[in-house]
Amino acid sequence: MSPRAAWTVAVPYLAFFLLPLGWLALTSFWPDAELARPLPSHLTLENHAAALAGGGLARAVANSLLVSGATAALALALAAPAAFAVARLGVRGGRALLAAALAISMFPPIATAAPLYVALRAVRLLDTLPGLVLPYASFSLPLALWLLTGTFRALPAELYRAARVDGCTPLGAFRRVLLPVAAPGVATAGLLVFVFAWNELLYAVTFLTSPARRTVPVALALFGGEFRDPFVVLAAASTIATIPVVAVAVLFQRRVVSGLTAGAVKG
Amino acid sequence: MTPSLRALSLLALAAAFGAGCRTREDTRAASRLILRYQPLGPDPAPFRELVASFERETGMEVELQALPNGADLAHQLLVTSLGAGGEDMDVFVLDVVWVAELARAGWLADLSDAFPPARVREEFLAGPAAAVVQGDRTFAVPWYVDVGLLYYRTDLVPEPPRTYAALAAAIRAAQAEAPGIAGYVWQGRQYEGLSCNFFEALWGHGGEALEGDRLRLDTPAARAALGWLRELVADGLSPRSVVTAAEEDARRAFQEGRAAFMRNWPYAWPLLQDPASPVRGKVGVAPLPGETGPAPGALGGWQLAISSRAPPARRAAAARLVAHLTSAGANAVLAIHYGRNPARRAAYDDPRVRAEAPFIAGLLPLVERARPRPVTPYYMLAADSLQGELSAAVSGLRLPAEALGRAQAQADAIAGVAR
Amino acid sequence: MTARSERRLGAALVVPAGAVLALVALGPLLATAWLSLRHRVPVLGEDRFVGLGNYRGLAADARFWGALANTAYFTGLSVALELLLALPLALALHHAGRGRGALRAAVLVPWILPTVVAAKLWALLLQPDLGLVARLWPGGAAAVLARPMLALHAAILVDVWKTTPFVALLLLAGLQAIPEDLARAARVDGASGGRVFRSITLPLLRPAILLALLFRSLDAFRVFDVVFVLTEGGPGHTTEPLSLYAYKTLLRAGSFGRGAAISLVTFLCVVAIGLAWLSALGERRHAEAPP
Repeated sequence: MSPRAAWTVAVPYLAFFLLPLGWLALTSFWPDAELARPLPSHLTLENHAAALAGGGLARAVANSLLVSGATAALALALAAPAAFAVARLGVRGGRALLAAALAISMFPPIATAAPLYVALRAVRLLDTLPGLVLPYASFSLPLALWLLTGTFRALPAELYRAARVDGCTPLGAFRRVLLPVAAPGVATAGLLVFVFAWNELLYAVTFLTSPARRTVPVALALFGGEFRDPFVVLAAASTIATIPVVAVAVLFQRRVVSGLTAGAVKG
Repeated sequence: MTPSLRALSLLALAAAFGAGCRTREDTRAASRLILRYQPLGPDPAPFRELVASFERETGMEVELQALPNGADLAHQLLVTSLGAGGEDMDVFVLDVVWVAELARAGWLADLSDAFPPARVREEFLAGPAAAVVQGDRTFAVPWYVDVGLLYYRTDLVPEPPRTYAALAAAIRAAQAEAPGIAGYVWQGRQYEGLSCNFFEALWGHGGEALEGDRLRLDTPAARAALGWLRELVADGLSPRSVVTAAEEDARRAFQEGRAAFMRNWPYAWPLLQDPASPVRGKVGVAPLPGETGPAPGALGGWQLAISSRAPPARRAAAARLVAHLTSAGANAVLAIHYGRNPARRAAYDDPRVRAEAPFIAGLLPLVERARPRPVTPYYMLAADSLQGELSAAVSGLRLPAEALGRAQAQADAIAGVAR
Repeated sequence: MTARSERRLGAALVVPAGAVLALVALGPLLATAWLSLRHRVPVLGEDRFVGLGNYRGLAADARFWGALANTAYFTGLSVALELLLALPLALALHHAGRGRGALRAAVLVPWILPTVVAAKLWALLLQPDLGLVARLWPGGAAAVLARPMLALHAAILVDVWKTTPFVALLLLAGLQAIPEDLARAARVDGASGGRVFRSITLPLLRPAILLALLFRSLDAFRVFDVVFVLTEGGPGHTTEPLSLYAYKTLLRAGSFGRGAAISLVTFLCVVAIGLAWLSALGERRHAEAPP
């Protein structure tokens, strides 16, 4: 396929993906009273002002960055050594562990919300950000494990052997040789976990009560009143709130693709 | 991971822990109360001042925690928290249809001492009083109310219709005058709003839904009511879009001038009178029509309740907070600053309310007739399957008689009644 | 260090991850399984052991089978569509030349948007009579959300819009793992582009396709947000997937035992699907030569 043919194919996709997004961005400048019209009569910034009023959204973005970052860090810190162990150190039942981990993460969250609430309350982690990070990390652990195991498996076996021959301990080889080479795969797993934690709503709403600790999905869910559904303000808020994540994704997208390449897929 | 990246991640973890952790006292003092409520509006100042005046008077501290605005999420949070022991909050808000079930579950404190049922019935409107007093005991105190109303276009409809036949005629007349306009928009989506519309139609057809504690859904009046709703869509008096419409969808259609009639709650009025609204000044409000005359609207609104697990000392303090928040003065504050219809009859005659929220003051006759949906602990349990059957009938998937028969069977199974 | 002590170290490295999983995730899972064996309606104060009673009730429940059918249909159609749409997109992203970074970033945004926001966006666009789509295609044919038999396709559309980029990324990675020389050699030998794709690219892309199918079907089977926002399961339960049925049973109806049973059944179905794809992946791995 030539680049020109590639772009010809890509254009309908871009239209399909970006036009609704463009409409969403346009809606954020749309006066609410005119939403039923095909086009607004004028553009306004009052929705953005309403979205940012009180600083709640900004604080929510900060909380979300913190929680998502911590979740990604924790998940990677737990998954990377484990994946290395399964891929290179020949742990028995490694595949069974991966399959069991995958199964656990597939459990419907709604059923686990109540037991987790009770458990978090017992250890006094309710309404705290770490209390949110722990469930997030454990439910995204399987995805990270899968991707990282594939990444490490795809690295040439000689790399590890050569490092050991050079006198490294296994952990040393892991830290100094394998991890840097597997960085793209790690970045991929990190991004996926980050986005998952960023968009998670159910646990955030159940476990957090103080306004100061809200994350972005909770803040978005609290817009509007009992019947009111101010979509225009929601559009403004979502556009604002999505910018940090898009920035993170753009920063990582090159690494993501080469990371998935590095063998996560070949398993 | 490079050393710097690892250090960064450890730092992030530490920061997260540091920022998120907080000290919790082992036992909350009797002088600190937790209030969980739904945010009332964009400006928190008047409400905070209301709470602050309570704190000043009594020397107690009140911590405000928000509940999400979605009814399902709020219900889930309450059930999760109360089911886990109910010690996480003292005073909380309840939708009018949750009082019966949570009272039956034993999670609501009996407030009959501080709020005797006789006094509640005397001071508050009949509808909410009926919802909060069960078995001659008070389990919650009404905070603010809502009622289903008929909105109509005063430029297309000279006089609001009082009967269903008049409604149909008025729709046709309006459509003759303004071609392309839709007739009557209401909420037909599969959710609790549809149940409200159904019960209003049921009462309009002279039916009753409750026999003692048992839900009676399969009656001739119910079949007539559901059939009427279905025919509205089938005959084109209501646009097809009502089958997916919730409150906002109906409001937007009406506000854009695309419908002659709308069934909605009072919240829509200030939006319709917004300077940018195309129908500003052309909207009237009336009671819903019925078979032979105006019919009652469904009761909505929220009440304040106290957790039954709160220790006696805190319970007394909580009762004082509830009394303060449901006082006539507080009713006026909520009406003027947040557009919330008072639950106290006297508040509608309050000069401040008359002056600054005239629309609300004028709602008294409509609000007085508002009827609660069936007040039984089984309501919430049956509501889910009821919504499904109503939606099936309204969208033409099933005949009303069959839908109601199935709903009745489900309700009976839940209540453990053998057919 | 011997291989044995290496394995011991490996086991030690695995323990933290396993412990966190067991602690935080396994506990609630077992609690739910146990709950599914009881009839528990806190509101009515009922709490007794019923063994498999909930499951027997589900087996006789038409709404359950309807939900299962909806879920299976949704999963099958959306995953198939996503795969079919993602493949050309992946090829385009692979061969795009200049500006491919921007193209990839642009394509990622629907996936990053919170599902609820995406669903509300499309709910507005698809609103019968008033939405943009209805205005562009007047005549009521586009009023999909209001038609019992068609409303589920609106949810599928939103899901496809949102996750095709993700699948395209997975496939793109697979494409980039294929060595250039193979394709070049085939073309030198005179094979057409289409032939190269069919005989070389596609077979080597199998693992990526299977992985995408695995993750996507597991996620699609648990769909919730999209349907909830678009139709709340209506009209008349015709768009209700299993997860929404479980949600309503747990939270609106307050029947915890039944809701737990539905959740567990959903979980078992997901496990079955996962096992099926995993064994397909495993066979693939055995068929290829070991590295």
